[in-house]
Amino acid sequence: MTADSPSLSTPSRPLSRRGLISGAGAFAAVWGAARTVLAQPPVEASADVDPGSLLTKLVRRVTYGPTASELALAAQLGYHGYLDYQLNYTAIDDSACEARLSSLATLTMTQQEQYTQTGGATLLSNELTEATILRAIFSQRQLYQRMVEFWTDHFNIAINSEPANMLKSMDDRNVIRVHALGNFGDLLRASAHSPAMLTYLDNYLSTATNVNENYGREILELHTMGADNGYTQADVLDVSRCFSGWGYDSVATSPTRGAFRYSSTRHYNGAKTIFAGTPYQLNIAAGGGQTDGDRVLNALIAHPSTARYISLKMARWLLREDPSPSLVDRVAAVYTSTGGDIKSMIREILKPNNLASAPPKYKRPFHLMVSALRALPSNVTATSGLRGQLTSCGHRPFYWETPDGYPDTAMYWQGLILPRWNFGASLLNANISGCTVDYPAFFSGLTTAGPMLNKIEAELFAGEMPASEKARLNTYLGAGTISSTKTKEVLGVAIAAPSFQWY
Amino acid sequence: MSHDETMSSGSCGCQEYRELSRRGFLGAVGGTAGAISIAAMAAPAWLPRVAMAKDYRSTQRDVMISIFLRGAADGLSMCVPFSEANYYAMRPTIAVPQPDSTATYRCTDLGVSVAGPNGPTGFGLPPGMTALLPAFQAGQLLFVHASGSTDPSRSHFDAQRFMEVGKPRDVSLVTGWLGRHLAATAPATPGSLLRALSISTALPRALVGGPLTLPIPNLDTFGLTGSSSTVAARTVPIQGMYSDTSDPLRSVGLNTLSTIDLLNTINFATYQPAGGAAYPTGSFGTAMKSTAALIKAQVGVEAIAIDLGGWDTHENQGTVPSGTTPGAMHNLMTTLATALAAFNTDMTALTAPTYSLVCMSEFGRRAAQTGTGTDHGHGNVMIVMGNAIHGGRVLTQWPGLNASQLYQGIDLQVTTDYRDIVAEIAVNRLGNDDLPNLFPGYTPTFRGVTL
Repeated sequence: MTADSPSLSTPSRPLSRRGLISGAGAFAAVWGAARTVLAQPPVEASADVDPGSLLTKLVRRVTYGPTASELALAAQLGYHGYLDYQLNYTAIDDSACEARLSSLATLTMTQQEQYTQTGGATLLSNELTEATILRAIFSQRQLYQRMVEFWTDHFNIAINSEPANMLKSMDDRNVIRVHALGNFGDLLRASAHSPAMLTYLDNYLSTATNVNENYGREILELHTMGADNGYTQADVLDVSRCFSGWGYDSVATSPTRGAFRYSSTRHYNGAKTIFAGTPYQLNIAAGGGQTDGDRVLNALIAHPSTARYISLKMARWLLREDPSPSLVDRVAAVYTSTGGDIKSMIREILKPNNLASAPPKYKRPFHLMVSALRALPSNVTATSGLRGQLTSCGHRPFYWETPDGYPDTAMYWQGLILPRWNFGASLLNANISGCTVDYPAFFSGLTTAGPMLNKIEAELFAGEMPASEKARLNTYLGAGTISSTKTKEVLGVAIAAPSFQWY
Repeated sequence: MSHDETMSSGSCGCQEYRELSRRGFLGAVGGTAGAISIAAMAAPAWLPRVAMAKDYRSTQRDVMISIFLRGAADGLSMCVPFSEANYYAMRPTIAVPQPDSTATYRCTDLGVSVAGPNGPTGFGLPPGMTALLPAFQAGQLLFVHASGSTDPSRSHFDAQRFMEVGKPRDVSLVTGWLGRHLAATAPATPGSLLRALSISTALPRALVGGPLTLPIPNLDTFGLTGSSSTVAARTVPIQGMYSDTSDPLRSVGLNTLSTIDLLNTINFATYQPAGGAAYPTGSFGTAMKSTAALIKAQVGVEAIAIDLGGWDTHENQGTVPSGTTPGAMHNLMTTLATALAAFNTDMTALTAPTYSLVCMSEFGRRAAQTGTGTDHGHGNVMIVMGNAIHGGRVLTQWPGLNASQLYQGIDLQVTTDYRDIVAEIAVNRLGNDDLPNLFPGYTPTFRGVTL
């Protein structure tokens, strides 16, 4: 996209378009806004859609931030080729990124070894967090990592809750990462058998006489159908009864400690009825044992409310906060016709027409920080400092307390901007432990404002920085040779720019 | 006006400060030089280095403090209906024993009795809540029992949202009742830079829509980092870029910059609570202490929201200590009660400013225990506190806890809509009588919450 890089006096095409649409709404002053207010939905070959910018937009949505090399790759592969490349993630060589994780021993330990290692739950949490941050920054499998984050929130487990704190690392490995771009039904079943989930939502304590409704309610409300989408309190109780007895082996001396375990003595084995009086009524006769839960899972996976709710959430994540009902219906139809194939749903969501008309999304703090580190020549040797930065923003990975996961709305995240600004300043001042930016290399050979700003625009803003922001930074830098202090600090200020908060 | 920073904080109680705000103003408009001098000497070091030209009591509305207990706090443990036989029958191992029990950990009788379907009903505080007794006995703290939202949802997330926007079941309403209150009223202090805040990393729904409203996780450290010698230079392009962008990010950016300057004038770290108030350590106690400092600084803040989470006690509820183990909910209640009690002591040592505080949760918990905890329920207890609150009472239309008296046969009923309580405060203490805007489609019944 560097061919589109404007000089300070010549706004890029997106900018000139934006100039025509003042007052177009909350997103009007950031790039991409032009596409939100087109009178007619653009068609793929429309002259009104800049294919270069649409491709950049695709890279923004499926990655944690465009880099020059990623944009070049996308340009080479084209829209569908690049999307296919990212979807077919196992074919992408990610050995360089995985090599960065080699010192994180708990990532490859068995559950038994995780229990007995001397760092305890703190080490499990810290290493999983470090791996998550490093993969987001350095993995070539960017869409996969983005979907891992999505499902991590969808099936949220607070890593500081006991006894899930010893089990979440395995849930990340065997549930989320195995199925993130696989089949939703497989993912749901894996989660339902995950000791981390069964402990986090108390199901492991549920018994025939003391049926705990926590998991039964949340699997309906959060994991599958969505609140108020076709179930009642009676369904919550009977679903919970079906899952009673689903727990894990907590015996410290057991060779299978930490593994899923079904306890028939804890199971409510009477008859149950789910979705009574609806077309989806499921009668479960007494004596079904562990298969009761399996039958509930099948019913939930097949329920049209699940198809719609999962489609809605995925469209919100990948496309826009307010996907139209017709779009959600189309994605739900793909869910139904493919039996819950996540890749097929993503293809439907990211059809060029859908993306062309989608407004920018607001970066969550994790996305903001990772996108900056990806765009700059950053050296990340440890992530304790980044963890602290994320905590300041209220976005420490795996630390959302409640089962709904971190929110994915601009409204939620937009109020607290100060620590986002401070992240940039701290990063460039080498005040984030384990994290530095080689800004002299970044600006190598560039000593005056114009060329430096063009470099910033090309690398940090994918060639699409609003002219007004460039002008403000130009005034800040001033004329002549730029001081070493400003050469460093201008990057921190650029990270604070309004348009850098969106993707 | 600048205050003498060398004044020792130990000799500057709030009595002096109350005098300061008036005398300082008199001095500024033509009082004697001596009066100015006295005022300056009396200034605590933490107070803002800006002139406060108003007598708070004559011109300000109450500061509204909204505390939300996220996760569905168990009201039947926080204000215990110890006369209800079925309470003990339904909770064989997690009930709080009666006041006349010989148990080490038992209820403290609030000394009130209300009529109920099962006869006169007494209420008591568990050990974790007894710090609130002085405020209750002083008439400044009110319990509203069998209260909450009439919405039937037992979803945390739906229930919180609908309570905070002020209308059940309306997903199109995105702003909060408190945010709409602020948006619809002129600033209580003209020119205020910050009208409301939450002490958190994100605004709670109740405050969404409020002008000059920000989430601020830590009032004492709200400032730009990096090299201090370049802060001013770096602020210029940031201010410029946010001036150029569109709302809501524009307002957020510019409000953030002005709020940094505003909070810089207050030294929260050296704030000395009045009346010997001792706030608990930890984030909630710190938030309540900062709230007191902010209100007394009189910088025009009208509403403060604070969350306290962790109440979703499906298992291991720990209502009272067990042997040497404190209990999860006991710890939470202790944090809540000691912080509220300290705040009340701190604030009531003054006759002004005045505040109204409402503490609520999305719903209560199941009347009967499950395992060692409780599932999601319905009716709950609210805590209302303030200088002008008609406290010292348990305000309730008590529905009883026998099986036939329970909501859907399982939960405490809601006989008082939480909006009745909040609406009365809005009208009588916040000066806003546009209740159809605050609580669309609902006509509140005032319950005599305010004096």
